[in-house]
Order: sequence, then structure tokens, then C-alpha cells
Amino acid sequence: MSRLALTLRINGDVHEVLVEPHRTLLDVLRGDLGLTGTKENCLEAECGVCTVLLDGMAVNACILLAVQCRGREVTTIEGLARDGALHPLQRAFIEHGAVQCGYCIPGMILSAKAWLDARPATAAAPTEAEVREALAGNLCRCTGYQKIADAVLEVAGGSREGGGAGAGGKTSGAPLSQQAGERGAR
Amino acid sequence: MNFDYHEPTSLAEAVDLAARHGADLRFLAGGTDLIIQMRRGRVRPRHVASLHRVPGLDSIEANGSVALGALVTHRRIERAPAFRGALYGLVEGAEVVGGHQVRNVGTVGGNVVNASPAADVVPVLLALDASVTLVGGSGERTLGLGAFLTGPGETARRPDEVLTRVAFPAPAPRTATAFVKAGRRRAMEISVVCVAARVTLDAALERCLEARVVLGAVAPTTMRARAAERALEGRALAPDALREAARLAAGECRPIGDVRASARYRRLLVETLVPRALARAAERAREQAA
Repeated sequence: MSRLALTLRINGDVHEVLVEPHRTLLDVLRGDLGLTGTKENCLEAECGVCTVLLDGMAVNACILLAVQCRGREVTTIEGLARDGALHPLQRAFIEHGAVQCGYCIPGMILSAKAWLDARPATAAAPTEAEVREALAGNLCRCTGYQKIADAVLEVAGGSREGGGAGAGGKTSGAPLSQQAGERGAR
Repeated sequence: MNFDYHEPTSLAEAVDLAARHGADLRFLAGGTDLIIQMRRGRVRPRHVASLHRVPGLDSIEANGSVALGALVTHRRIERAPAFRGALYGLVEGAEVVGGHQVRNVGTVGGNVVNASPAADVVPVLLALDASVTLVGGSGERTLGLGAFLTGPGETARRPDEVLTRVAFPAPAPRTATAFVKAGRRRAMEISVVCVAARVTLDAALERCLEARVVLGAVAPTTMRARAAERALEGRALAPDALREAARLAAGECRPIGDVRASARYRRLLVETLVPRALARAAERAREQAA
């Protein structure tokens, strides 16, 4: 089994790495490049702590081979602040106290960024339900999500009651038979 | 996870690699399932061949009949304008696969080849009478999706074949699809039961000319509830007809009990979700006609 010479673009920097083909992007980020802001946990794409952006889309770095990222642009949490100034999402998470243990937060922020960046400029102010749907692939076991949703809503220009069309906030607790038939927050 | 990595740049090259390495080779599409299975040690391929440099596998063609290239991601199905109307069931299936991170990478070809009985897009494809195209050493062949799926994680794909696309005929006028799913939570959940429906209504938008009722996670493969389908054809989709179809579908399915639900509860869910999927498809078909 031979190693592959890869050129990876991460946070705008070009890195040349020599890796075995089975190494994941998460392995390379944390082990080879020391970019430990991207977290490791379930390794099965269930929890979202390893979320990074690949060409602007949120992906789980734990199930993506590094070689699959050749020629593409990777953004990690280390790449969000510009010239020492935090990204608005990072500031909002701090201001809302949306961080407890912090382990899920890099992934939360990157999922939120992918969602915000993909929203049409003309979109109506988002509802809390939309924010929670956007973050469905990221688990947090400390905060109960409310402050996280509040922080993202603030940056997105929405409000907890929902500034746009549709009802806000139906998120959990409905009987299974109702959940099955509903579209919206999942 | 120890393997040699290949990046074929043509279908012929991919097929040649597969012919040479047989069951020792796995094709990599999105990898959202393959990487997990390899890490768990459930599959141990000595060769992995990414399909990303093979041209032509990532297109959505919707001129009359519809063809999805094997590498079309769930995200693209969710966002494709072609699937806004009659084919909206495909969107409903695609948008509940994993989280955004998985849908941004995972592909329809992978979903089909993976042959999970609980797959979410597969029931809708089966309801659309989809077929799959396979290219191998002895040429190209097309198989009905139902015949392709032979068991949990098992398909009729030969080791030297690449699944290149999934295609289905253009929906008839006054036709629509719907997909509903029951899970223990709304996001990031494997289906306890899922149901896809397709209905075609008559010109008066009263009677059902043709129906498909497809059940997921209640049999070794995604399955059509054929008795339920027959019971609906020619009838008005009134509550009594929907209830009868639901009862027949619950009788036809062969669920197991597992960590997610008992067999009995799965039958109950089939009986509950079948009318809901049919009613939604019928409503959508009327909207299409309006």
C-alpha cells in the first residue's frame, strides 16, 4: 500500500501532505496539520463535531477520505476569524452564552455558516424551526440548543417567534405518529 | 482500513479494475456508508476505486423520462427544480437522509447499491417504476429496481459492474408522489417504517387509475404492497378505500422486531402511514392538474 502525495487547500493555505489512502480528512487535519479545532467523536457521521466546509458545503470530516478533498477548498473553524476579528457567528455564540463544554461548537458554527451562506439574499427572515433544521446534523449534550438557535437567529436576522413565513419552533416531543406526517423541523 | 486507492477516469477503466480485483474492490461514490463499514471492519476491500473522475455520472436528466446519475447527491435531489411538482416525493425522501453533512456527500447510486431495507429514497424510486443501468465486462444491462434489490445489503450487481444511473419514465398527467417516514426523532434517524406512494387520477380527478404503495423497513428489501395497489385501482380515493389499502399493506409486509420497534408496531405504522402517503399524493396530483 503506497502513500499518496496530496495538495490540500485548507483555510486558503496550501498544504502538501503524504498520506495513506485510508486516512480521513479528520485524521489529517488533527494529526498531520495540528488543526485541532475540528473535533473527533463518533466517527460515524452521527454527531457532527467533525463538521468542516468542503467547497462551502458542510461535511463530516470523519467519513471523508483526505484524498476525496484533492483540488477542493476546505474551511475549518480556524479559518473563520479574519485578521484577528471573530466571525459574526463566533461573536454571537459568545454573546448569547451558547457555549457550555464547547466540544460541539466548531461544528455547530460551520453548519450554521454553510446554511447562512446558501440562503438567497432575498430570503425572508428565518424562523427558529429553520435554524434548528439547519443544525440537525450537529448534536449538543449540554445546552439544550436554545441559546445556539438564538445566536444563529440573531446573525441571520430572524427572531425566536419567527420573522418569516410558517410556524416556528415545533421541534420535539410530538408523538411519533404526528412527527411522521409533518414536514418542517425534524 | 488498508487498501490501494484508484481513480479511474473512464467507465471502461473502472470496469477493468473491477474485473481484475472482483470482490476485493469496492467503488467509492460518496463514501458515507462505505467508510463507516470499513472502519467497523464489516467490509475489508483491498482496493477502493473512486468514481469521481468518471465523466457523466453526476447529471440529472429530466427531458421526458428522468435519469439520475449514480453520483447525484441527496442535496442535489432536494434542490432540483425538476422535482418540485409530481416528483416531490423524491425530495421528501432525500431530505430525511442523515443530516445535511451526509446529504451533501451521499449519493443516490450509493443509496441504491447499499440496499438497506430502510433506505429513504429507494421507496420513492420503486414507486416510480425505476430501473438501474449496470455496466460491466460483458456490456450494459438494465434491471428493474425491484429485481435489483435481492436482500438486506444484497443486490443483483455482479462484482465487475458499475451502477451508472437510476431512471424512470416521465410521470403521466395527474400523477404525484409522496413519502412519509416514522422515526423516533425527526432528524438523523433511520426509518422505523417509511412509505412512498404514487397515484395517477382520472380526468375528473376522482378515481385512481394507477397506484403504487411501497414500504420501507418492513421486509428484507424495500417492497411494493401489490394487493393494496390493486385494491385502489379504479376506485375513488375516499377514506374507506385508503383504509382498505392500509389494511392490505399491513398484511403484506413482513417486519421484524429490533431495537427500533417491534414487528407489531411496525405493522401498525404501515397501517397509519399508507393512507397518509396516499392522501398526500392524491392531493398533490389534484394540485398538479389545477
